[in-house]
Amino acid sequence: MRNEKELLELINVHLEPQAVEIKREQNVSVELAPKNLIQALSFLKSHSYQHLSTISCVDWLEEGAFELVYHLFSYDDYINISLKTRIKREPGIFQTAKEIWPVAEFYERDIHEFFGVEFKGNDNLEEMILENWQHLPPMRKDFDTREFVNDQYEWRDYNGQKHTD
Amino acid sequence: MNNNFVKGSWQEILDWAQNKSINMLHYCTGCGAIELPPTMTSRYDMSRFGIGPAATPRQADLLLVTGYLSTKTLRRLIYTYEQMQAPKFVVGFGSCTINGGMYWDSYNTIKQLDKYLPVEMYIAGCMPRPEAILDGLLKLKKMINNGEADGYQRYQDNLEFYHQNQEAVLGEVQRTQ
Repeated sequence: MRNEKELLELINVHLEPQAVEIKREQNVSVELAPKNLIQALSFLKSHSYQHLSTISCVDWLEEGAFELVYHLFSYDDYINISLKTRIKREPGIFQTAKEIWPVAEFYERDIHEFFGVEFKGNDNLEEMILENWQHLPPMRKDFDTREFVNDQYEWRDYNGQKHTD
Repeated sequence: MNNNFVKGSWQEILDWAQNKSINMLHYCTGCGAIELPPTMTSRYDMSRFGIGPAATPRQADLLLVTGYLSTKTLRRLIYTYEQMQAPKFVVGFGSCTINGGMYWDSYNTIKQLDKYLPVEMYIAGCMPRPEAILDGLLKLKKMINNGEADGYQRYQDNLEFYHQNQEAVLGEVQRTQ
């Protein structure tokens, strides 16, 4: 069983992280270059971080980047790792992690649907939650929800007073 | 006795019988469905008003839309509604069905249910308490008894209007013939 410091030592020695931080007890954040990430995932999996809780995505519009966050957990160490990497927003292509965790296929499908990130090697990126979606992926920062709602739906008319923004 | 009188009286008898036995389709959308178990079970017990749950759309005549409708759910709701046999009644439940409620600026939920299905009445609230639901359903019973709940006829008469609105948000919609 490792504690947080021992874990960071292990990561520093083997993974070339760009930044590491102990966020709080049992919670560690690690930033990596995109090219090292898949290797790091498989390294951590072989060091007891067997549980991929989820993959999340953050849209950094001004910086032109998507940040992918892989949330790992170890049942031996009881520590969560947030493994972060920033990929270019255009064209927004990254490698799949489904060879390491089959479940990653669904998380990637979800991110593809809501952010438009492509995952090379994952050939099942069809729609999962939305239906017949023809517009920009809705969780992107440049998707204007208010404008879309105004175009797509009509506001209820209350005694002749229409809703205005 | 002329023909219209017979037809009218027969319809009144049907209406009277109808309002004494309402089968509510147990189809739950959104969060409002959580108010239905206390309404159905012993605390408020809606079966004392002759309202009970039904398992399939073909046996039901009341469709409660219990909350927000994403466009994906709306498609299922329309298929469900079209499977039900007339006379059938739709009740909008909670503020989401009235004007979008707290999802008023969501890209994926519809704002006015009555543009897509013929709504008999709305029960306002977020969420309406079981008392409000019972009050609304009692009012629906009165409307049925008076022959005012004619949503399924309005749907037939304005089929094009409803179909147009449905297709505007859903794209292609399968139609049963």
